[in-house]
Amino acid sequence: MVVGEIAEEKDVVIIGGGPGGYNAAINAAQHGFRVTLIEKEQIGGICLNEGCIPSKVYTTSAKKLSEVPGLSSFGIDVGEPNFSLGNLQSYRDQVVTTLRKGVEALCKKNKIEMVEGHASFLSEDRIGVDNGHQFDVFHFNHAIVATGSRPRYGQGLDVDHKRILDSRSIFHLEEVPEHLIVYGSDYIALEVAMSYHQFGSKVSLVLDGGKNDFDFDSSINKELGRLLKKQKIKLYKSCELKSVENQGEETHVSLLKNEEAVLLEGSHAFISLGHQPNTEELGIDRLKMDLSEEGHIKVDKQMRTSISNIYAIGDVTEGAALAVKAIKQSEVVSDTIAGKPSEFDGTFLPTVVHSIPPIASVGLTEEEAKDQYGDIRVAQFGYGGNGYATVHGKREGFIKYIVDDATDLVLGFHGLGEGAVELVSTGTVALEMVARDEDLKFPHYPHPSFNESISLAEFTTKREKVKS
Amino acid sequence: MVEVKLHDIGEGMTEAEILHYFVKAGDSVKADDPLVEVQTDKMTAEIPAPANGTIEELKIEEGTTISVGTTVLVMNAEGAIQKQEESKSAEEAAPQAEKIPTSSSAATAVMEKTQGRVLASPYTRKIARDHGVDIENVEGTGPAGRIMDEDVYRFIDGGSTQEVEPAEEKQEAPSRTYTDQQPESIPFKGRRKQIAKKMSHSLHTIAHCTHFEEIDVTDVQEWRKEWKSLDQGVSMTAIFIKAISLTLKDFPMFNAKLDEENEMIHLEKDHHIGIATDTPDGLIVPVIHHVNQKSIKEIHEEMKSLTAKAQNNELTSKDMTGGTFTISNVGPMQGSIGATPIINHPEVGLMAFHKTKRRPEVRGDDEIVIRSMMNVSMSFDHRVVDGASAVTFTNRFAQLIEHPNLITLELV
Ligand SMILES: Cc1cc2nc3c(=O)[nH]c(=O)nc-3n(C[C@H](O)[C@H](O)[C@H](O)COP(=O)(O)OP(=O)(O)OC[C@H]3O[C@@H](n4cnc5c(N)ncnc54)[C@H](O)[C@@H]3O)c2cc1C
Repeated sequence: MVVGEIAEEKDVVIIGGGPGGYNAAINAAQHGFRVTLIEKEQIGGICLNEGCIPSKVYTTSAKKLSEVPGLSSFGIDVGEPNFSLGNLQSYRDQVVTTLRKGVEALCKKNKIEMVEGHASFLSEDRIGVDNGHQFDVFHFNHAIVATGSRPRYGQGLDVDHKRILDSRSIFHLEEVPEHLIVYGSDYIALEVAMSYHQFGSKVSLVLDGGKNDFDFDSSINKELGRLLKKQKIKLYKSCELKSVENQGEETHVSLLKNEEAVLLEGSHAFISLGHQPNTEELGIDRLKMDLSEEGHIKVDKQMRTSISNIYAIGDVTEGAALAVKAIKQSEVVSDTIAGKPSEFDGTFLPTVVHSIPPIASVGLTEEEAKDQYGDIRVAQFGYGGNGYATVHGKREGFIKYIVDDATDLVLGFHGLGEGAVELVSTGTVALEMVARDEDLKFPHYPHPSFNESISLAEFTTKREKVKS
Repeated sequence: MVEVKLHDIGEGMTEAEILHYFVKAGDSVKADDPLVEVQTDKMTAEIPAPANGTIEELKIEEGTTISVGTTVLVMNAEGAIQKQEESKSAEEAAPQAEKIPTSSSAATAVMEKTQGRVLASPYTRKIARDHGVDIENVEGTGPAGRIMDEDVYRFIDGGSTQEVEPAEEKQEAPSRTYTDQQPESIPFKGRRKQIAKKMSHSLHTIAHCTHFEEIDVTDVQEWRKEWKSLDQGVSMTAIFIKAISLTLKDFPMFNAKLDEENEMIHLEKDHHIGIATDTPDGLIVPVIHHVNQKSIKEIHEEMKSLTAKAQNNELTSKDMTGGTFTISNVGPMQGSIGATPIINHPEVGLMAFHKTKRRPEVRGDDEIVIRSMMNVSMSFDHRVVDGASAVTFTNRFAQLIEHPNLITLELV
């Protein structure tokens, strides 16, 4: 290894080429900065290579598969579907490669200097990049940390990526598990559970951390519970996890429920317990940078860290670990560096699950709204009464929104059912625009459409919880 | 249960009168909502709610004077902060497998949601950002408490101290990312708020126009020197005030009040001259009344006593009202050479005196002489007078200062 003596002068240096990093690079370049993007693995980060995109290839496949039996009603008879995981993987690779090439081309077009290697801070204005046979030192004016996150699990869990899997290995299985035990309750857990169920696995879903339900709005939790039961995905609630062990072909998950031992015998286990920020091996221990207890880099609304010329965006910062957030923050950070007033506000970041049917949610849940506002009204409309849902044979689901009874202010918007992922944007815009109920009811929604449910939703008043 | 007490809101304050409650028992309030307005001998101030909650009981009747430390009202705090703590401790108490962590996604999702909602559309927020205004400091007057574009503009008009914040913020380390607490925030109340209200009202009402002039003050300075050697010291400002009064005599339109409602311009007969005065709490304008009937010496003495009163916060309301024209002498600060002063509504004119400098001047027969030159800025209400008369006004004033012996011609 040759240690460079001379530091190269750089303007904006970005560590990490995920959706946060590469979008920040493109935005900053468009603001006229000279940008250097350092990535140790593949451009596109988790999102493109192992996260959003591969998982959506899988959930889309599962959705299509789930629709096959219903096709005969539409006069299309295709017989028994034949699912090939191998073909799906090829397609996944094809999609990921196409998208990655697109990102690479964009970076090139914007004259972004791409550097391969592992970056770490040497001081508040110097970064070292190690690519195995060379060590370069860059002196920078601005640095953006976009190193993302990785799956998190405790020491008690031995993820071997063969039988005990996390999000990095679950989409690389070469055969469909016989019995997949999913431990988790977030969107990734649900997407994996429902996808593999469609592909033919028996699936058991164990809520993590002894939870007795999902973290969604109560109406969604209830309907989701019913749907899982209907799809024959066994749901384990309020269980304490004792161990996950692999014994050859079998993977055993031991639980404790009401003091009683429960043993789940599966072929594979998948663990989804959220994410841990990639802040180690970054040299930030050399800097006086403020970190949260969990190791996230603390930033203000303009993405500045506690060191004035260093910024951080994406999963490495506090809050939800979502590409939506990273992408928005990439805009904010490049504006900030360019001296343009900008801000990030994660209050109305939608949560989306590409389950069957999908779930989408933004703002307060009914319970949170009651807690914070007292008297509220809840408007709900079931897809059973929606003509378009009937046409599609997708009558399962509903939309629901919550308003403050005193001011009519919209507080939250939730949907479970076909189209929910697109529908939630109406709710997000309403919340950002400080809309009141009539602002949602008054507009025209196409007929027939899933959207119509919004104008058809009827209110019921919910009284304030009894104060303790 | 939280007791909201009268706390020390200003230097040396010991007691205050409860002027007005904004809330009544049973009302629910948000953190920072004003609860009660109190009046001290120096200012009126609002006591804000320390947290979200409901008002339990008002302890003191309006009109009562109480001392610092007295409980004004009792409220039931049930703010988000408290709740978060509760849920946290509940979580900690919940039994958990020792080695295996719970999912973090729930915790982070909650964090995003409880950071407090900004009741403004993204467009309005951008207006605030572009003006360097923290939207969380702007009070919304729109439906359901929504912050409207106008609220932001109103804040910008009145909140000059907030405007300089972003530059400072840049150098500063982010201490806490998503809380409402802004360590450097200065309460916008009391005199600052009064000034803001007056200034923006004036700017919104009066058609402001300002012109500039250079005035040779060498001769007045000579006069002053001579007086001083005779133990008759008077300030420059006192002479300016007298000269203004003599000028107003010739141009009464500048000593007027526009009564738009009744479509009248009222010409004031007496000259009550306001003197813009800087104090630690901000600008105030004590008034010397009947300047037209007073000698320069009397003006000088009165000015001295008014300035002292202003510095000590002892001005009575009579000392501060009734002005018909205002002057602002920033010359002693050795700073500016021009300004666009905001007129003290409902007056018609305001003249500001800037620094005096020794400068080469070209005289009649192309001779260069060194003279003491002072710049003045004259703001006038263009609804009442036009530029030409403003120029003749300033010319007359300049003439009196440049040839101070002319003042003697006006002696009665
Ligand atoms: C299964 C799964 C499904 C998901 N689905 C969705 C979804 O549907 N919607 C959504 O919004 N989000 C989704 N996410 C989340 C999303 O992937 C992340 O939020 C997003 O990738 C974060 O972007 P980032 O730029 O912050 O970091 P990352 O994408 O993690 O990128 C960080 C990059 O930095 C590089 N790096 C790290 N350290 C260094 C170093 N020292 N030197 C050089 N390079 C370094 C890494 O190699 C990596 O490429 C999903 C995640 C997973 C795991």
